Amino acid sequence: MSAITLDRIRKTYPGGPQVLHDVSMDIRDGEFIVIVGPSGCGKSTLLRLIAGLESCEQGEIIIAGRRANELAPQDRDIAMIFQNYALYPHMSVRDNIGFGLELRRVPKRERIARAEAVAQTLQLGPYLDRKPGALSGGQRQRVAMGRAMARDSSTFLMDEPLSNLDNALRVEMRTEIKDLHRQLGATIIFVTHDQTEALTLADRIAVMMDGHLLQFDTPEAIYDRPATQAVAAFLGQPPINLLPAMDLPGWQGPSGCVVGLRPETLTVHASRPAGPAIAGRVTLSEMTGAVLVLHCDTDAGRLVVAAPRSALPPGAGPVWITHDPGKALCFDQTTGARIETPVRAPASRVQAANVIA
Amino acid sequence: MARENRWLAALALLGGLLFLSPALYSIAVSFQTAQSYYQGGFDPTLDNFIRAIGQYDFARYLLNSVIVSGLVTLIGLSLATMAAYAFARFDFPGGNLMFAATVATLMIPSHITLIPNYLSLARVGLLDSYAGLVLPAISNGFAAFFLRQYIKGIPRALDEAAYMDGARPIQVLWRVIVPIARPAILSMGLFIFIGEWNNYIWPLVAVGREDLYTLQIGLARLYKLNPGEGAVDWPLVMAASTITILPVLAGFLLIERHLVRGITMGALK
Repeated sequence: MSAITLDRIRKTYPGGPQVLHDVSMDIRDGEFIVIVGPSGCGKSTLLRLIAGLESCEQGEIIIAGRRANELAPQDRDIAMIFQNYALYPHMSVRDNIGFGLELRRVPKRERIARAEAVAQTLQLGPYLDRKPGALSGGQRQRVAMGRAMARDSSTFLMDEPLSNLDNALRVEMRTEIKDLHRQLGATIIFVTHDQTEALTLADRIAVMMDGHLLQFDTPEAIYDRPATQAVAAFLGQPPINLLPAMDLPGWQGPSGCVVGLRPETLTVHASRPAGPAIAGRVTLSEMTGAVLVLHCDTDAGRLVVAAPRSALPPGAGPVWITHDPGKALCFDQTTGARIETPVRAPASRVQAANVIA
Repeated sequence: MARENRWLAALALLGGLLFLSPALYSIAVSFQTAQSYYQGGFDPTLDNFIRAIGQYDFARYLLNSVIVSGLVTLIGLSLATMAAYAFARFDFPGGNLMFAATVATLMIPSHITLIPNYLSLARVGLLDSYAGLVLPAISNGFAAFFLRQYIKGIPRALDEAAYMDGARPIQVLWRVIVPIARPAILSMGLFIFIGEWNNYIWPLVAVGREDLYTLQIGLARLYKLNPGEGAVDWPLVMAASTITILPVLAGFLLIERHLVRGITMGALK
């Protein structure tokens, strides 16, 4: 059974633009869903609709098999973690975590025991008596998680919970949230604009733009088979190269489309290879660790290539770039939708296994 | 730098003494006998206080003032806080209009409402009663306005977090908003209390029975006592004044800490 179903949700702010256009989604029990998109795409609004903090003028929200449109947030049995944590500044960590239990009339002794157990799990034991103001950003974030966990909800909503943390802490908390999901087995709906978070955390990713749900699928599917050019451009770091098919030497797919080439599917050569290749020169080389990100000015425009560090000898002159036709993506020029194409590979680089069928 | 600070401190101290001097003078006079007051010299005595309380019933007036100001503060503050919460957080039909009306009441001088209030209370027979003293003062537009502004400054995410935790609106108000707005509410409470404590016109108009006199009325009556005797018994009046200001002073000292925090708002984090 699906935990949460959204059926053609439409939302317009009074006197404002329409922020959600017929968004439908089926979220299964225990799934980790990440809703990702640029700011203003409606992802937070969608989350708040599920929470019950906003209402929609059209569409249905079904939670655990029951229509929930009219249910108040406190009746939905959903826990939520806010971007700025929204901890109660006048309460200690213990009371912050236990507040939800107190409102549910859990006896004091049990409440405190549970709050302290949750705090232990989150390594907040030493801070139980502190107020949020006396905690670091990471600790506040944990308290916010603890507050949601203490209640034993079956569903957690997280609104960019990691965006206020510094990078190291963000990576650490990302792992912890993933662990937590495994332990709790709860349904998690996580909103972020950070594609790395989306790709690393999600069982399934929902990509949203301008109030439309563009694609809802596994991270692999979204990365390898993006529904539209916009999805392809949004996910992937460094971003995908998009160029008109006619500019690509040796292109055998349908003409008149836009070809998307992921930087890591391109190969850079210091000398002209056999077969079709794009000639150009490296204008900027970024060292990112194991991988070099090369920005190249080529006959086909600017291309970004992710290459192993050994790919080019230092001080190389002109370069030639070849692509893996089996991994090239093809988008309709006008609609941006991806065109499924059996790509005929150029003679020199046949990789039948990767050809999209 | 340190030198400058010392000068500033001295200046502030001087200013403070200047403000305090009338009060200090009146307290000093209240411990003098009338004779030594008029003839010079200093002859300390508690006799003025004993007379004010024993002879002129100032204990009763004090009690009345405490009851009236206390009720006005308690009820007025509760109403203002609830109204402020509603104005700050909820969209309801006519809400904006009601808020505008609330703000508009700030522009109506109390003298204009004096007679209508008197007539309405007379009609329902509430003159000469505690209710008559309290009721007209409990709707406080300024308090509602001030607290609304403060509550608007509290992040709405806190309300939402509480809703997600299972709270009803009234629980959000009581468990989240009020504790956070406490400095502002306490300051407002003190202002209301002092305002009502010092209120003279309304008690003068609304009450004729001596056992319902508040301190201010009692104080004013002291001048008019003993007509024809010429000289006013200033030490007695000053003793009564001292009785009048002491409770307010004590209350101020008690919550001064919160008051300062309330005025330096935005210390919320």
